[in-house]
Amino acid sequence: MALLCGSTSVRSQDLSVVPLDERWMFEESEVNGPDIWNKTWYPKAADHVNTDKPWYIVDATDKILGRLASTIAIHIRGKNLATYTPSVDMGAFVIVVNADKVAVSGKKRTQKLYRRHSGRPGGMKVETFAQLQQRIPERIIEHAVRGMLPKGRLGRKLFNHLKVYKGSDHPHEAQKPTELPIRDKRIQMTR
Amino acid sequence: MTRIKRGYIARRRRTKIRLFTSSFRGAHSRLTRTITQQKIRALVSAHRDRDRQKRDFRRLWISRINAVIRGNKVYYSYSKLMYNLYKKQLLLNRKILAQIATLNRNCLYMISNEIIK
Repeated sequence: MALLCGSTSVRSQDLSVVPLDERWMFEESEVNGPDIWNKTWYPKAADHVNTDKPWYIVDATDKILGRLASTIAIHIRGKNLATYTPSVDMGAFVIVVNADKVAVSGKKRTQKLYRRHSGRPGGMKVETFAQLQQRIPERIIEHAVRGMLPKGRLGRKLFNHLKVYKGSDHPHEAQKPTELPIRDKRIQMTR
Repeated sequence: MTRIKRGYIARRRRTKIRLFTSSFRGAHSRLTRTITQQKIRALVSAHRDRDRQKRDFRRLWISRINAVIRGNKVYYSYSKLMYNLYKKQLLLNRKILAQIATLNRNCLYMISNEIIK
């Protein structure tokens, strides 16, 4: 990565061969390289092409919903990277499989409510966690992660980097996803 | 009283303002009254954001340092790094640490290992 080897600029001119009255023609950044101590690093377009971003895969079987969603959101947003920038999408893609087997602690399975409103009066629809898991299990993880991503144009774009699947197979083998590194020890539901 | 036209006085004043607003979008660079308002708003935003800029960059540096430090070791964080930094009386500020974190990560690991001891 170009970041790790420091300045990669080619010095176009060695100022010692240039006569004194022509030295003003050369910019400081051409001669000595970019000023890294006075200009905070900002990603160029080549630093965040979608094709070069890593893909991670995580199996949601028996993982606590909120803790899983938190680590996923951190990786999607790019907050674990040194190149984190709030205005730029530097994060990775995350695939979640076995979304229907995600776990919650306590009585949340029957008591946690998912609400949505159609906009019309009396249009509030309420479902429990168990009912939604029966109907559309992907939506549970999507709802959790969406609540943890920033809300705005960039947040909506980041949300598209999350891919959730019901069973254990996914169509992204060509991206060669690696295991998502999880540091939270309490994420695994202990029976 | 003789009739006096105002002539070019107002126009001269307004062209200066118009020059400032020349790169704005749509009506904000074309209509005179809107131009004066938009120039005022632009200058107010610039003033307010010059103070915010100092805050925003510090937040960014802290986030970047935190990301790199947490990635290195378990149970190590930005807060602990800063505590160790102050204990050893190292004067590196967050801007420099963040640039080191982005451009030369191993160097930051070396620094943090030194100050933990």
